[in-house]
Amino acid sequence: MNAIGLLIILLLLSLLVVAGKQGLKTFLGLILNFALIFVLIILVNWGFNPYLVTAVISLLILSVAIYLSAGRARVMAIAWQTSVVVIILVGLLACFTQYFAQVQGYTLENSDELEGLSLNIGLNFSHLVIIVMIISALGAVAEASMAITADLFEVIERSPNITVESLSDHAQTIGGQILGTAINTLFFGMLGANIPLLIWYLRLHYTLAEFINAKLLVMEVATMLLGMIGILLSIWFSTFLVERGYQREGRKLLHESDV
Amino acid sequence: MKRQLGRIAIILLATVLAYFIGRFDSFLYQNPVGQVVSIHQTTEQATTDEFDNQDAQKTQDLTIKLLNRSNQTIKIQNQVMESQTMTTNYRVGDQILLKKQGGDYQIDTIKRDSTLLALTVMLLTSVRVYVKRKKTNFLMLSLLANAVLFVLALFVDVHVKNLPVVPWFILIAVVLSALSLGLVLGRTKQARITLYATIVTTALAVSVMWLALKLTGGLGVHFETMSFVTQVPAPIFYAQAIIGVLGAVMDEAADIVAGLFGLHRESQHRPFEDYWRAGLSVGREILGTLTNVLFMIFIAETIPMVILMLRNGNNWSYILDQVMNLGILQTVVSAIGIVWAVPVTSVMTAWLLQHRDEEEAVK
Repeated sequence: MNAIGLLIILLLLSLLVVAGKQGLKTFLGLILNFALIFVLIILVNWGFNPYLVTAVISLLILSVAIYLSAGRARVMAIAWQTSVVVIILVGLLACFTQYFAQVQGYTLENSDELEGLSLNIGLNFSHLVIIVMIISALGAVAEASMAITADLFEVIERSPNITVESLSDHAQTIGGQILGTAINTLFFGMLGANIPLLIWYLRLHYTLAEFINAKLLVMEVATMLLGMIGILLSIWFSTFLVERGYQREGRKLLHESDV
Repeated sequence: MKRQLGRIAIILLATVLAYFIGRFDSFLYQNPVGQVVSIHQTTEQATTDEFDNQDAQKTQDLTIKLLNRSNQTIKIQNQVMESQTMTTNYRVGDQILLKKQGGDYQIDTIKRDSTLLALTVMLLTSVRVYVKRKKTNFLMLSLLANAVLFVLALFVDVHVKNLPVVPWFILIAVVLSALSLGLVLGRTKQARITLYATIVTTALAVSVMWLALKLTGGLGVHFETMSFVTQVPAPIFYAQAIIGVLGAVMDEAADIVAGLFGLHRESQHRPFEDYWRAGLSVGREILGTLTNVLFMIFIAETIPMVILMLRNGNNWSYILDQVMNLGILQTVVSAIGIVWAVPVTSVMTAWLLQHRDEEEAVK
């Protein structure tokens, strides 16, 4: 039996035991998102406009990530709106970043993997950079906006007479905490993913100048920073939407959620 | 609204300023740095490779003004492919790091520090504007401390011969998580129990991966496909898995523990069952979105390579095996860690809080 297959079965069983039906939905969500990434790759490979494809697929991935998780309908709606706006902004920042830093493609460090491959494939790698940056941020943005929105709804539910100002104070505190943990997740995820590359740079005695300008490393660090900016924007915008909703609808905000 | 716009203006201003500061720092460089002042494009030639991929090659004659060497100008020829897989299409205004080889200048790479600086400043000022002062400092301090510590750990890995790689990274993982939890949550009981839960869950998740590999004889896992290999790849992959799982589990454990401590503050003397159920329900809410975070990071990275392989006439099963294999494995292991963190954290915290209640009752 294949080791990865075994672990996937174990994951499914654990999800079912720990979270029951919600666990099954999470598993389904992962499979769906994996399939969506496949579709993205295939369409880009066929020569469709990479930006259009990424926009559509990102919307779908966000929807899967948000609507297949647990929570109130209204929380999901706010998280979704936030994520869409934030991903558009992150995408714009990614375009700027790629324009100025030109981190596309490979370098001599990749010679081993690239051996025997034709590199002149007629597909501009600078588009692919933007795809990678946007897709990398999707998960973090969805998570942060769901977390802050759900927590704020909880605050409203628990304290019946909360004023908008007091809600805003709570949002500051909770937002700060979520920012801290979410940024840590992204940071460790990125560190974990890049150990071989960092070791490579250290082994070959790169100078500081080469290190901070290296194409591959700047690509990784920029992707991480964009993700972190995305997290912050999500918290910011979700808070704004919840506060505005509470101001306009008061406690009715909670009632609509029993759908 | 006006206040928000003001904040955004400050952030954008700081970002642009950082970018321009970055463009004027070439005097700090020892190697020559130049700026492209004009480009003469000479020829454009269509190419077709053996898989019928249409591409085009052009030649750029670059005139480069040296910035940190007496304003001398030099000429360099650059070949660039439309696909830019290995090559770069330069534009007027680009700053470039140069190397001098045998009297001739050669292009090393584009100068990217200004972009990096701009993004960093953008993140820092936005965090600064959003969060209260003291907290930001601790968060940024923890990131910085972690990054420095991590590079030091890698440095040791590179320079010490016969270092037991996996135990070394386990130690580093424990120190990193203690450091970030200590800095973000302070030296509290809450931080301590979060730390223990994180360590236990990470250990369980990575052990189960090890066990699965042992049971199947490593079938279907290709450590040899790891990029940038400079040492035995399997231990490095374990290190990657440990660090990757750690961040997500820490996030989740912190949420669950915070929720249960909140419950405890509201009313004490609850039975174990109460805490356990509350912990599971907090965990269930977050595990779905959290698994997606790491999944997206690990899979997104492989996209360019997958496309390159596809265009080179490889089939999907080969690509899954060679390019996405380790990314998928890492996603699955992290997901297992994220799921297991829920019961592990709930049990540990429930046990602690219940015992605390009992101790208080005795007093």
